[in-house]
Formats: sequence, structure tokens, C-alpha cells
Amino acid sequence: MLFVFMFIWSFALLAGIMMVWLLAWAIKRGEFQNMREGSRMIFDKGEPIGKVTDHFPGTPAGGSR
Amino acid sequence: MTDTSATTPTLEVSQLEDEVRSRIEVDDSSRLVVSVFWASSLFWLTVATFAGLISSIKLHSPGFLGGIEWLTFGRIRPVHWDVAIYGFGGTAASGTLLWLQARLCQVRLPFPKLLLAAGIVFNLGIAAGTVAILMGHSTGIEALEFPVYVMPLLVLPYVAIVVANFTMYVRKRSSHTYVSQWYLMAVTVWFPILVIAAEACTNFGAVDGVAQAIANWWYGHNVVGLFATPTGIAAAYYLIPKVIGKPIHSYHLSLLGFWSNAIFYNWAGTHHLTGGPLPAWTITVGVVGSMMMFIPVITIGINHHMTMLGNFHLLRTSPTLRFAVMGSMMYTVSSFQGSLEALRSHQEITHFTHYTIGHVHLGMYGFFAPLMFAMMYYAMPRLMRQEWSSARLIKIHFWCTLVGTFLYGYAMCTAGVKEGLMMKDASIPFLKIVGMTIPYLWLRTFAGLILFTGTVAFLINFGRMLARHRVKFADATLFTSQRSWGLMMAQDRALRTADGEPGT
Repeated sequence: MLFVFMFIWSFALLAGIMMVWLLAWAIKRGEFQNMREGSRMIFDKGEPIGKVTDHFPGTPAGGSR
Repeated sequence: MTDTSATTPTLEVSQLEDEVRSRIEVDDSSRLVVSVFWASSLFWLTVATFAGLISSIKLHSPGFLGGIEWLTFGRIRPVHWDVAIYGFGGTAASGTLLWLQARLCQVRLPFPKLLLAAGIVFNLGIAAGTVAILMGHSTGIEALEFPVYVMPLLVLPYVAIVVANFTMYVRKRSSHTYVSQWYLMAVTVWFPILVIAAEACTNFGAVDGVAQAIANWWYGHNVVGLFATPTGIAAAYYLIPKVIGKPIHSYHLSLLGFWSNAIFYNWAGTHHLTGGPLPAWTITVGVVGSMMMFIPVITIGINHHMTMLGNFHLLRTSPTLRFAVMGSMMYTVSSFQGSLEALRSHQEITHFTHYTIGHVHLGMYGFFAPLMFAMMYYAMPRLMRQEWSSARLIKIHFWCTLVGTFLYGYAMCTAGVKEGLMMKDASIPFLKIVGMTIPYLWLRTFAGLILFTGTVAFLINFGRMLARHRVKFADATLFTSQRSWGLMMAQDRALRTADGEPGT
């Protein structure tokens, strides 16, 4: 029983430390800077901002904004 | 002097070709694995919905299939829930994770054979667990009813998914971590911890009595909130901006939403035991955690809905957007409902009533499932290089999902409130309260039938996609620029030539 408890607590502690480390790592890496660029990383030249990329099959495209 | 007017367009075309080629390569690498996960998720959704229908009918017509011990309520209802959360949710979320992470990291899917094997073993695990429950081997612990001997078949494949997820992240070519990636990475950290700790505390008997109930509901709440919810939100943060071609409203808020969700959700589970024989402070912790959840819910809601502002007309033309917006709106609704439901004053009426069942379905079928459907509607044509065969079936699926979910939520939440108010009056006989709920239980069965119809429509469309039925290559849904299309065809010709096949 003691082993199981120690296992669970060690695991939880490890997970907590990992999350804190991850947050510190992300700050250090500049993940929370230049947010504008971050929000645009899902677009590229082939599928740029302003292009609608989905519509029902067999119907004309929804058009650009 | 250098003639920049000639070189710049060439560079742009070259960059465009690289980006499109990279996207095609990523999709090609994940085609088989992701298709297997999503095809199995639809199979299990059909099984879960069917099991739910049988359970629902039994509540207003107890004699229905009463002579078959395998299908008694105590067996078929856990099958409904476990198959829905692990069979449908587990495979749909894993497919979503693998495809989305590969796309956002801009890398090929690693270990495809291992992941394929993982998908097969995971499905065998779900099948074994389902048969075990039907045979009467349920553990009796809600949301963890699969017997312990089945768990390795579910846990080990998930290890492969975790490894693949982190491998893609380490290899990523993109410089930034998109908000969806935060959620996807977190799921693969949270979910194994949840399962291991909950199994240890319940089925392995590390604790018993009240402490076991706490562990059970800590898990029961978090399996929705720290497994299904993050995957759904990750899908919404990718699909809504991507489909309408507009960055999310506030990237700052999106990160605040992620970290506040990470900090607060874990504390909310004990509100399920309000009124139970627990120390009062444990319930209070759950209530406070639930109230704090307003922070991520509001920030995520603002982001999703404000991004859509000015683009609602696209709901007429985009199947992906219909499901994604339905899912994100229902996230706001069901999360507000869930947080308020945690309050003791609210629980005085709604606890131990049908209201809770209504809430769970608004979350799982109103929020999570539509976002998984949206992901499949968006990604499958790109993975299979083929358009959906029927727009009509997509529309049937959408309207069945929307109407069925609303009817279900209305029936159960209304019945729950009436039930709770009547139970507070000691002069009302319990049988009268049960009688009052019967018309609502019929309405629930009707709603379930509508949901089942929608699932079958999607299953047919999905099956046709896999069977290459009525192949259409030239629709703009797939690749919105002719250049992308030309590149893909050129790549196809090159591959066929390399294989010695005649070109097309």
C-alpha cells in the first residue's frame, strides 16, 4: 500500500514539476512574445489569411473576405 | 544591378511550392494511421449510440429485452459510456492529435507502423472490455468499468501516441508553438497520470470507502475535462481561423485560457459528491475549482465567438465550420452550466436527477463530438485526396446532431429540475415523480434515434470515402489554389513513374 501511495505521489510531483518546467522553458524560449506572428503560423502562401478553405462538395467556394 | 522584379516572383513561387509540397507530404505520411483511428472512432460511436438507445428505452419500458442478461441495464449502460469515452473519444482524439500535431509541427508522422499497431491493439482492448462488461465482469467503478486485465491493451498503445506526439514536437520545423499544440501536448501528459492514479486508487484498491469515491469522481470529471475537452478546444483553435482565413481574435487570451484551464480544472471533480459523506472542505475545493473555471471558459468563448464575428455567413457553405461553431458554442453553454451546477444551492435541486445526464450529453455530444466531426470533415479529403461523396449526407448528419442534442438536453434538464423540485417535497410519493419523468424519457429515446440517424449518415459518407466511391478530384474544398492542385498531380505522376505505372 505504501508503495502505491509513494508511486502516485511521486508521479503527481513529477507531473507538477514538469508543468512548471514547461512554463519556464516556454517563457525562456520566447513563446509568449511576438503573439501576432504566433497566431498567424497556421497560414501560409498557399492558404493565406483571407482565403476560405472549406465548403460543401460540389458547390462554389465560400469566397474570400 | 540585380533585376529583383524577375527573381522575387520566382522566390515566392518556390516558397509556395515548398509549403504546399510540405503540407502534402505531412498528410500523406499520416493517411493510413489517422484514417484507421477515425474509422474505428465512428464504428465505436455507432456501438455507443446503439447501446445508449437500448439503455434509454429500458428506462421508460423496463421489459424491453428484459430476458437477455447480456443486455440488462446494469451492463448495457456502462457499455454505452465506456465505449463512448474510450472507443469513440479515445480514437477520435488520438487521430486528431496525430494529424494536427504533424500539421502544426510541419513534420511527417513518425513511427507509422508502431502507431498502426497501437491503433489495432487499442481497438482490440475496447472490444475486449465491451464483451467483458456484457458478460458481467464490470468493475462497478463508474468510467473505469473495463476489467483490470483489459487496461494494458489500452494503456500501452497510448504510450506509442505519447512518444509520437513528443517526437513530432522535438522535430518541429515551425518556430512557434501554436495554442492548439499546448493543448495537445498537455493531453498526453495529463491523461496517463489520470488513468494510472485513478486505477491505483480504485481497481487496485490503494484506498477504499469515501476516499475511493473521491478518486473515482476526480477521474470521472477529469477524463472529460483533461482528455476530451483539450482535444476539442485544440481542434476549434485550428479549424475556425483556418477555415474562415482569419487569425484568432486574441492570442493572449488563448494562452491565458490554456494555463487557467490547466491550473483549475483538476480541482473541480469533487462537486459530483455534494451531499455525500465527505469532509465539507473537499466539496468546497471542488466548488471553488468549478467557479474558477469561468476564467478559461470565458476567455476561450470570447476568442472563438469573436473570431467568427463577421463570418457567420460561411456557416451556409462550410460543413467543417458548422460543426466547429456548434461545438465551440456548446462548449460555452455546457461549461457555464457545469460551473453553476457545482454550487450547493444548485445541487440541492439537480443532484441525483436526470439534469446531470443532460449536462454530460450537452458536453460530449454538443461540444466534443461535433469538433471531432469537424476535424474529420476538414482533414479526410486532404488525407485521402478525395472529396466527400454526398453534401446531402453531411447536412443530414449536421441537422441530426444539432436537433438531437438540443432535444436531448431539453428533455433531461427539464425532467431533472422538475424531478429535483418534486423530491424536495416529502409529501409527493416517489412513484409519482418517476411517472412525471416518463414522457421526458420517451423524448430522450426520440432524440437518441435522431442522433443515431446522423451517425449512420456520417458512417455511410465515411465508408464511401474509404471505398473511393464516386471519386471527385477537382473540387475546390480540397486545395483552394490551382497551383496546389497542379503540384499534387505532378507528385502523383512522379510517384507512378517511379513505381513503373503508366502516367495519367
